[in-house]
Amino acid sequence: MATAISIQGLTKKYVDVWAKQEVIAVNNLNLEVQEGEIFGFLGRNGAGKTTTIKMLLGLIFPTAGDATLLGKPMGDNVVKSMISYLPEETYFYDSMSAWDLLDFYGRLFRIPGAERQRRIKLSLEKVRLQPEAWRRNIRGYSKGMRQRTGIAQALINDPKVLFLDEPTSGLDPIAHAELRDIVASLKDEGKTVFLSSHQLADVELICSRVAIIHRGKLLRTGQITDLLAGERTEIVVKGAGLSNGTLQNLRAITPDIEPLEELQALKLFSEDDNQTSAVIDLVRNAKGSVISVVPHKRTLEQVFVETVRKEEGL
Amino acid sequence: MGVIYAIARQTVREALRRKIMWIFLVIGVFLISLGPVFGFLSPKDSQTVLRSLGLAAILLAGLFITIVTCIYLIPVEIERRTIYTVLSKPVQRYEFLLGKFLGGFFTVFINIAAMGIVFLAMLYFQEGHHIAPEMARGVMLTFFQMLLLAAITIFFSTITTPVVNFFLSFGVFLVGNLSSVTDTLTTSQNKIAHGVGQFIYYILPQFGNFNVQNRLIHPEESIVNMNAYIVQNIFYSLAYSAVVLAVAIILFDRREV
Ligand SMILES: Nc1ncnc2c1ncn2[C@@H]1O[C@H](COP(=O)(O)OP(=O)(O)O)[C@@H](O)[C@H]1O
Ligand SMILES: [Mg+2]
Repeated sequence: MATAISIQGLTKKYVDVWAKQEVIAVNNLNLEVQEGEIFGFLGRNGAGKTTTIKMLLGLIFPTAGDATLLGKPMGDNVVKSMISYLPEETYFYDSMSAWDLLDFYGRLFRIPGAERQRRIKLSLEKVRLQPEAWRRNIRGYSKGMRQRTGIAQALINDPKVLFLDEPTSGLDPIAHAELRDIVASLKDEGKTVFLSSHQLADVELICSRVAIIHRGKLLRTGQITDLLAGERTEIVVKGAGLSNGTLQNLRAITPDIEPLEELQALKLFSEDDNQTSAVIDLVRNAKGSVISVVPHKRTLEQVFVETVRKEEGL
Repeated sequence: MGVIYAIARQTVREALRRKIMWIFLVIGVFLISLGPVFGFLSPKDSQTVLRSLGLAAILLAGLFITIVTCIYLIPVEIERRTIYTVLSKPVQRYEFLLGKFLGGFFTVFINIAAMGIVFLAMLYFQEGHHIAPEMARGVMLTFFQMLLLAAITIFFSTITTPVVNFFLSFGVFLVGNLSSVTDTLTTSQNKIAHGVGQFIYYILPQFGNFNVQNRLIHPEESIVNMNAYIVQNIFYSLAYSAVVLAVAIILFDRREV
């Protein structure tokens, strides 16, 4: 499969002249995204996601490093006609209707008249914006309708690669789920989606591969299935005999121990079967009782939190 | 070309929705229509008032309309992030800038044309079903003056904020209008005064040259060849605007948005 996005050593420093401070928004980023992937670009607020996307689109200029989109250098006009972008929190030209807005953007892609009309209709249908709203002013739209319009706008040129910057942030649960499904459906059309997000549940559902970025640095990247591999087991144990000595022995097996106050019990997480048996043996020897042993699938959220905490040394 | 046109059209649509522009237009038309009120003066005086008030109203309203329209064209796009949706498409930055300029300028053109029509129509009825050609020329020169101002305002908008731009554009307009002061300075014996005069004369746009209303109204100060003078000013406006826009394009090309 061909490479859609290839990033080499991309770096962006912002210098605050007044505070004489330097912010490294993106720090030596290396990343490859293949065609047809829905790629999750994860990070907390301020991690450098938007900055990365803006560099790829030629809106801001890298301090160092380079990137290619569809094998061509950033900012190439031919490439720009094959990609699209939904910025975060865009207001659009809200004195226009969705139809007129898409017509305007279609003209920027130099799509001829009749074809443009066809594409507008197709895009608006794809994002399921109700047809009654097509000719109404965007100003009167709900946030969900605006985001639909935003995605429709990103579909008008039938792009190969879409950059979506937090498309589902701040939506109500229904709109959220629908928009997530629309993004997921792009995969079936063979499109490449570069999805910046911190909505980990969404990403876990729809992305095939992710990268975790933190303070501008790439911490981890991999297939979701690999990242989530390895179950954790939750063990709840109880007993008067669980003295301080036993607790210390338990800690030696797994550091992941939480007291459950209301049950006067302890909750532990073990990483594998050996740890699980060791915990159970120890508790039995101390005359404690094992209340439950439940295997847990990892979630992307856990992986994300662990990865970021480890980096922060927490 | 199609892209520049699309952006210009979009810009006009947005610009015509700005209430502040309409307020200045209404003020302009109101001032023009005050002219006949002075009909109680002697015929010569009332004609002078009618003519100079009209041209001055068009200039003043045009000045504010041009500045308030053009200072926001690019900053609003950045603030609302719509510029990202445009520049990430196969649109070159110069196309965006030219589209914005042409859209802003067309908006100004519509306003000046509207005020000009009201003004000339009034002259027609007040001055015996006749429009003095020099009045039409006066409106036209105001129009080219605003073209130049629009280019300068767009230029500043690529490097500064709307508020700063408002005062800068206004300032350049005022200083550029002081041609008589400039003349005095350049002929001064004082080296500094001479230098300042030269600077204003060669670097700042000579807005004063467009204000022929005094010369039009007082033919005794007449310019030897009026047509040549007008053509020269139009050419000056076009050339100066082109240079300013070219510099704006160069600056905007490296600007982070
Ligand atoms: N124009 C700018 N000037 C200075 N600092 C900036 C600018 N844009 C972004 N930053 C800083 O760069 C970092 C990354 O920001 P951003 O890419 O917007 O993060 P994200 O999109 O992941 O939330 C933040 O610390 C932010 O404050
Ligand atoms: Mg962001």
